[in-house]
Amino acid sequence: MLTRFRAIVRNIVRRDRVEQDLDDELRAALDLLIDEHRGKGLSTRDARRAALLQLDGIESLKGQVRDARAGAFLDTLVQDLRYAARLLARNPVFTLTAALSLAMGIGATTTIFTVVNGLLLRSAVGVTDSDRLVDIVRMQRGGGPGIDPFSYPAYLEVRKRATTLDGVYGYQLELQPTSLRVSDVGAERVYAGVVSTNYFQVLGVPAVVGRTFGSSDGEEAGASPIAVLSHRFWMRRFDSDPSIVGRTVYLNGYPLTVVGVARQGFLGMTVVAPDFWIPTSMVAVLNAESGTRLLTAREADWLMLGGRLKAGVPRARASAEIAAIGDALAKEFPVKYDFLPPGLAPTDISFVWSVAAASPVPYGLRVIVAGFLALLMSIVSVVLVIACANLAGVLLARGVVRRREIAVRSAIGAGRARVVRQLLTETILLFALGGAAGLILARAMTSLLVSLLPAFPLPVNVSVPLDPQVVTFSLALSFMAAVFCGLAPALHASRTDVASTLKDDAQAPMDRLRLRNAFVVAQVAFSALLVITAVILGRDVERVTAVDRGFDARHVDLASVNLSMAGYTATTGGLFAHQLVDRVRAIPGVEVATLTDRLPRPGTMMTMGGVTVPGVSPPPGQRYFYPDWNIVDAGYFATLKIPLIAGRDLSDLDRDDAQRVAILGEAAARRFFPGKDAIGQVVHVHTDMRSTSNVPATPLVVVGIARDLTSPRDFQAPLSLYVPLRQKYVAGITILARTTGPSVADEIRAVVTSMNPNLPVLTAQTLESAQTGPVETQLRLAAIIAGSVGVVGVLLAAMGIYGVTAYSVARRTREIGIRLSLGAGRSAVVAMILRQGMTLVGIGLVIGLALGAGVGRLLAAQRFGITAPGAMTFLAATTLFLVVAFIACYAPLRRATRISAMAALRYE
Amino acid sequence: MSQPRASLLQGTLDLLILKAVSAGELHGLGVSRRIEQITGGTFVVQPGSLFPALHRLEDSGWLTSDWEASENNRRAKYYKLTKRGRRQLGEATEQWNRVALAMSRALET
Repeated sequence: MLTRFRAIVRNIVRRDRVEQDLDDELRAALDLLIDEHRGKGLSTRDARRAALLQLDGIESLKGQVRDARAGAFLDTLVQDLRYAARLLARNPVFTLTAALSLAMGIGATTTIFTVVNGLLLRSAVGVTDSDRLVDIVRMQRGGGPGIDPFSYPAYLEVRKRATTLDGVYGYQLELQPTSLRVSDVGAERVYAGVVSTNYFQVLGVPAVVGRTFGSSDGEEAGASPIAVLSHRFWMRRFDSDPSIVGRTVYLNGYPLTVVGVARQGFLGMTVVAPDFWIPTSMVAVLNAESGTRLLTAREADWLMLGGRLKAGVPRARASAEIAAIGDALAKEFPVKYDFLPPGLAPTDISFVWSVAAASPVPYGLRVIVAGFLALLMSIVSVVLVIACANLAGVLLARGVVRRREIAVRSAIGAGRARVVRQLLTETILLFALGGAAGLILARAMTSLLVSLLPAFPLPVNVSVPLDPQVVTFSLALSFMAAVFCGLAPALHASRTDVASTLKDDAQAPMDRLRLRNAFVVAQVAFSALLVITAVILGRDVERVTAVDRGFDARHVDLASVNLSMAGYTATTGGLFAHQLVDRVRAIPGVEVATLTDRLPRPGTMMTMGGVTVPGVSPPPGQRYFYPDWNIVDAGYFATLKIPLIAGRDLSDLDRDDAQRVAILGEAAARRFFPGKDAIGQVVHVHTDMRSTSNVPATPLVVVGIARDLTSPRDFQAPLSLYVPLRQKYVAGITILARTTGPSVADEIRAVVTSMNPNLPVLTAQTLESAQTGPVETQLRLAAIIAGSVGVVGVLLAAMGIYGVTAYSVARRTREIGIRLSLGAGRSAVVAMILRQGMTLVGIGLVIGLALGAGVGRLLAAQRFGITAPGAMTFLAATTLFLVVAFIACYAPLRRATRISAMAALRYE
Repeated sequence: MSQPRASLLQGTLDLLILKAVSAGELHGLGVSRRIEQITGGTFVVQPGSLFPALHRLEDSGWLTSDWEASENNRRAKYYKLTKRGRRQLGEATEQWNRVALAMSRALET
């Protein structure tokens, strides 16, 4: 059909020539007919009339030929587009505001979709054939969302037994900070990922220099002291120097040979990105304490598993096989857990194994992440809805204004479908403009969003590119919104009664105004909804991160190190730690400083051993009490401003060779020694809790009682136990320093480096910035988005109110003129218009507040820690809207007051 | 012209036009007259159907047009068959005959 295509091109490109040709042809035919009639004896005029009758009128004939021509549809489309573009250019204010509000709606929606795409929908970068890759997961029966890794022996079994998978790999999800030393330059902190030796093979990631791990690399403990660098790290740290391959580097003091660099773009299968990888056989390098036990113990769960489906095998079949393997392993090798959470018996713990599509987000967390993103998506969709309502209202108004033009079109023969198509084309062009602007805005907003994320302590691999999927989404959204928005106004406008419209400037039928008012009410309602949502989320972020947690996080700096990275032992490490904290205390500006093993985190607990108290029995079913352990130094409570309500703080006298002491939290003191003064009493600590153990318990004398920290609402307050660092050494310590002035985090870092350049400082920041956990981050993010979106919504609602008020004034100018000339006061006129506008706002507010109350209750039920909105919220929202509405009405109202009666009556 | 006008399907009209032009080139009105002639007055094609059809056939490559002098020395646009048009005429005629044969057989029984 090349001929047809050529014809289409010719008809469009050479349009004028074609038209002229047709004109000539028909005129020639007309002349022929005229000649014939004249030949039969008719006068010239009669001949002409007869000829025209025969041809049905030239213009009409031309129209029919045009419709039958090749490319007719395209032709009218181009015509419509040209006309639409001219129209938009002639009304720049309208075009700009419309495109802008659309851009905001589409931009916001696209931004969130970009994140959804990047986190949930995209396939891994740098691997081969990513849609055959799967995650092997297990979930605890009856447990909530979380991550359940596997043990190394379990991994080996799965690899051996799986027939539906073409390779099973394992990797450690948590990245541990480690010390890296290259030749004699000082140590630096890097992040190493532990992976099985077939990791790169199964994923299909080649090396860009050297090689990756392979089957020749032994799997027994310590058998392959090698490492593979990530491309990003290789570029950053080694300047892409290929000579690093083959060199020896020291990880936590242990020598490893760099054998290669992975392909560019590959940064692992999850959101955390290691600087380099070491094989599982070397896991002892990173975990000196657990060492090789991690490779043999069935109860040590630390590996995440994944695999590649065999060709032609559906995921469901692999999942069934894995589930069977899981059940078989549970029977053949029942795991004895040393330590169970309180209230749980060994038989309660069982897992369901399955296979899921590979995704950067761990399987157990996907629901939470998806839920959060769904929340964000709904918020921004509301913005889009408001923008569309805004636009639809304006289009409706313009349809009324253009009814003359439309009547003329109908009169010269345009069918209703044609008129609707033309109006719709205008709308689509407008939305295309808005959509394109929205895409650009989305780019900017995505970068802004990424920069707003709190600085994670780990290197993150979340890329949110503007890939084809996102662009398609954006375009499709624009198109659908255009059709949805423009159809009603277009249908309305095309329903013109030709005769009466052409006769005079008749008033628009009432139902159009009602529809427009409905749009404004919808806008106000949704904007109110957004504002209330923003307030709910914002308010609860404040509450969740409130100071009232039982300690004061303000003006406290911290720095954390891990002494095992520089080879310190319990004795040398303890000495070093105390020299360090003394030096920190000497920094100017530091009020008081201390050491601790971890940061206070209400809602979590860590146990290093069980406690028994003579005469007091633990909860039924448990052998021990399981308190929340905190290993601290003197000055801890003063640094964090936790009140000591009895006894004394730990001091330098509580050394390793002195009596073992402890401080209890209030609840623990009451529980262990009800009715008695806990000071001076003894608790027994059991660090080896296996039933077969015969390690004796250590008695600790209680020397002080501290106030408990406030726990989140549904978390059961733990029993707190504080022991001195000098009596229980841990390698991972954090220095806390309360300052009178600005942050001294950098000075603390300098002190550490000056004391030992081979000891990397893992983090150095203020306590406040370190306190943001995942829940707070999510809430904060949601609050920021809801807040900005709320602002946008209010703006859009204001525009809508302005629009409808201005239109109303313009329409009723004549009426206003009459009223004025009949003696009505200006203020009465203003009041009339104001009343109309405010009524709309009022109705919209009521609906919006009701919706907001419903949404608030819905959110509260989700247990994010949000409470339903109270009267204050509604009052604030109402006031805001009334003020905004008034401001929006102001300009048209002023115009209304300035209408002179004479000019109005003359108005045509 | 007082005979009842039978209505023409688009395909049938195309076939008639191709046939009319096959003997020699004709301008638009000439085609309609020729059709009237060869169908014995049964089909009188109105300009509203004829001209769109002519242009459609030209766009499809079965006719080609040229400006020439007509009778009474005016210029007019003349259409004639292309090679492909001639082939199309042959195929369409054959198909029509097949259909007609089948129809008459069916209506006889």
